[in-house]
Amino acid sequence: MIEFDNVGKRYGGRFDALAHLSFRIERGEMVFLTGHSGAGKSSLLRLVMRLERPSRGRVLVAGHDIDRLHHSQLPFYRRQIGVVFQDHQLLFDRSIYHNVALPLEIRGLSPRDTARRVRAALDKVGLLHREKALPIELSGGEQQRVGIARAVVNKPSLLLADEPTGNLDPQLSADIMALFEDFHHIGTTVMIASHDLALIARLRHRTLRLRDGRLVADEEGA
Amino acid sequence: MSKAGERQQVTRPRGARQQSVETQAQWQAWSRHHRAMCSDSLRRLVKQPVGSLLTMLAIAIALVLPSALWLTLDSARLVSAELDASATLTAYLESRVDEGEAGRIQQALEAQPDIAATRLITASEGMEEFQQALGLEDALARLDTNPLPATVVITPTDPLPEKMRALAERLGEMSGVEEVRLDLAWVERLRQLTEVGRRVTFALAVLFGLGVLLVVGNTIRLAVENRRKEIEVVTLIGATHAFVRRPFLYSGAWYGMGGGLIALLLLTLGSDWLATPVAALAESYGAHYTLPNLGLVGSTTLLSCSTILGWLGAWIAVSRHLAGIKPR
Repeated sequence: MIEFDNVGKRYGGRFDALAHLSFRIERGEMVFLTGHSGAGKSSLLRLVMRLERPSRGRVLVAGHDIDRLHHSQLPFYRRQIGVVFQDHQLLFDRSIYHNVALPLEIRGLSPRDTARRVRAALDKVGLLHREKALPIELSGGEQQRVGIARAVVNKPSLLLADEPTGNLDPQLSADIMALFEDFHHIGTTVMIASHDLALIARLRHRTLRLRDGRLVADEEGA
Repeated sequence: MSKAGERQQVTRPRGARQQSVETQAQWQAWSRHHRAMCSDSLRRLVKQPVGSLLTMLAIAIALVLPSALWLTLDSARLVSAELDASATLTAYLESRVDEGEAGRIQQALEAQPDIAATRLITASEGMEEFQQALGLEDALARLDTNPLPATVVITPTDPLPEKMRALAERLGEMSGVEEVRLDLAWVERLRQLTEVGRRVTFALAVLFGLGVLLVVGNTIRLAVENRRKEIEVVTLIGATHAFVRRPFLYSGAWYGMGGGLIALLLLTLGSDWLATPVAALAESYGAHYTLPNLGLVGSTTLLSCSTILGWLGAWIAVSRHLAGIKPR
């Protein structure tokens, strides 16, 4: 699903955020990405989303070198990826329902199909009863779940998450991770950047460890 | 991993029929989003009535000046067209020419292709007119002979000054014709004045059109800045540039249309306000003159132009700023 082939990313001509990065993630795998802050986790995710381009090497997603995607193809590429952000990037001027419906509106689904899918996604994260609420009325954990619902409403084949449990207490973090495992179980490829080592260790999935932009460990889960 | 991920579950190959279903669904989605953005942008305008109205007023003022000038010019054009129609040459016949010969000369003139109409004023008719105009009946009656020549008033088919001058020269050489007179100076002056006015109006229309673009552009720039976060998020989850641009283009078009409507209102009020004094002024010159109005065609043109200008201003502003907004 994702293949990094000797990828390097250099900012400002001097600083190597990522260097000599090679690994391969199979379709349907669930993988954690760990390392200290500044180790390159976010940079790696940004490369996969094609928000940035590698300075060297190739990034292949579903067999395609995404560096070769034309500018006009990017929106369609990004529609296939669900992304969960640490700060969840919700729009505060509209209800939970409309936040989750956004990817479907962009795709141009009919209102009926949109309603069906949005409610299914909200049901999945346990927030169906809050669909009319505004994001500001929700707790941090609930907001993060809305972010997840928005990421999966489009049924993406690849789900990326950047520190999805960053600001949450251990119990809420475990709940969020359980949600990601559910998507993994129905065949979605899941990649989660996190520095919550205790939680990662408990979940026993493959873990890529970064340090100073280099891959220092690739541990298979149990 | 195609745009229609769900449809790939269908096992049989995608035939032409499915393709057309998909095209139709895409078209429906496209028009649905257009409708949604059209009403959504209007709602946003109404939500901030003062700000929107100020923008529209600025647009309207920029539109009123060239429109009013154009109207004035249009009426000047009507006047000059009337003048063209009354632009005539006067051929004074030699005094030895009697009435019968004068009639023949008139017929000869009438037969020429570049002469539309002629009118013969015989010496005695000329005398009568002269007497009536001056009230000198007694004095003139004392004259033994009529000193006035017969004249032919000629309306040319083409009132262009050069053509008329050439015609006058040619007619002057005809036998029996003493002299041909034409007074073109003031007709020409008016024509040149109209041309100056036309160019000034054109230049002003271009400048003020640019003004409208700037007003709308600046308003839309602020709107883009206010919705920056939204633009970042939707770009991040796969919105095309067209999708992001659409609501702003509709806002721009609404601003333009609103400005156009206010401009029409101002023009109507202005011409109503001026109508009475203008009519009184015209009457004092013994003329009948009403202020021109835009009419249906003019109003439609003004509205379409302002709407298109608003749309264009928004397009330029959004395109310029989208390049600067990168998802974080």
